[in-house]
Amino acid sequence: MAEAPKPDSTTILASDCSFKGEMSFEGSMRIDGRFEGKIGSKGRLAVGKGAHLTADVTVGQANIDGNLKGNIVAAERVELTSSAVVAADLRAPKLVVAEGATFVGNVHVGPDALKGAEKSEFVVPMAATPIKK
Amino acid sequence: MGKLPDKRLVRCPRCETPLEVSRNAKSTLCPGCHQNVRTEDDAVDTYCARREFFTEGEVTVGKKGVLIAEVRVVRLVVQGEVKGTVQARESVVVAKTGRVYGDIRTPVLSVEAGAQVTGRCEFGPGLAQLRAPEPAVDAGVSAA
Repeated sequence: MAEAPKPDSTTILASDCSFKGEMSFEGSMRIDGRFEGKIGSKGRLAVGKGAHLTADVTVGQANIDGNLKGNIVAAERVELTSSAVVAADLRAPKLVVAEGATFVGNVHVGPDALKGAEKSEFVVPMAATPIKK
Repeated sequence: MGKLPDKRLVRCPRCETPLEVSRNAKSTLCPGCHQNVRTEDDAVDTYCARREFFTEGEVTVGKKGVLIAEVRVVRLVVQGEVKGTVQARESVVVAKTGRVYGDIRTPVLSVEAGAQVTGRCEFGPGLAQLRAPEPAVDAGVSAA
């Protein structure tokens, strides 16, 4: 029987990988390749410098260092580093932007940012669901 | 010690005409649109509601300051509240106590954890890159 992943384990989508579809994870995940689809988790997502995402992202924390188009909903915080290039609608209680980051889109940041999420055009946060066998 | 140059180059916030003004000048008249152009730094520490708040300098909205206006400045530091469209030629800094309700357009945006920002944001050096078409993910490698 397969062992359940530890909550602090990191899943990596390497730079030579492409993925299209819906993905959920527990713990943390790092994407260095290409991704198209939806990501749902309560964990931490790191988007590497060379990564290209076209995705609706609903996570606990997001640290973005690469390219992302779509929507971002984070339950805790979003960090855009200096090499981040993001075209997205963003909703999070906390946002940290480093000098040099590029962003285009609607921003809702603050303690009440997630309150109106269900009523708006933003993605409803979904829980990480285990993959059916 | 090196002496600072007596003149500096600013741009009219309304018509973008470049203007050379004295370093100590507080305002000048734009020959392009014949409007008064403020060139001094400013601080907002109280309630301030105007149709427009234009200056070719740095503006600091203090913790108790509330600025309701269309803002066009060189640098903006928000520790209090700003309601309205913000356009900054160099940078916008939203401190942890800052709240901005409106669209922001600037080359450099800095948001500290705890700040509130609501509106459309456009910032960064890679804006041209975002408008270029993105190569699609190869469908043959799909894992769905």
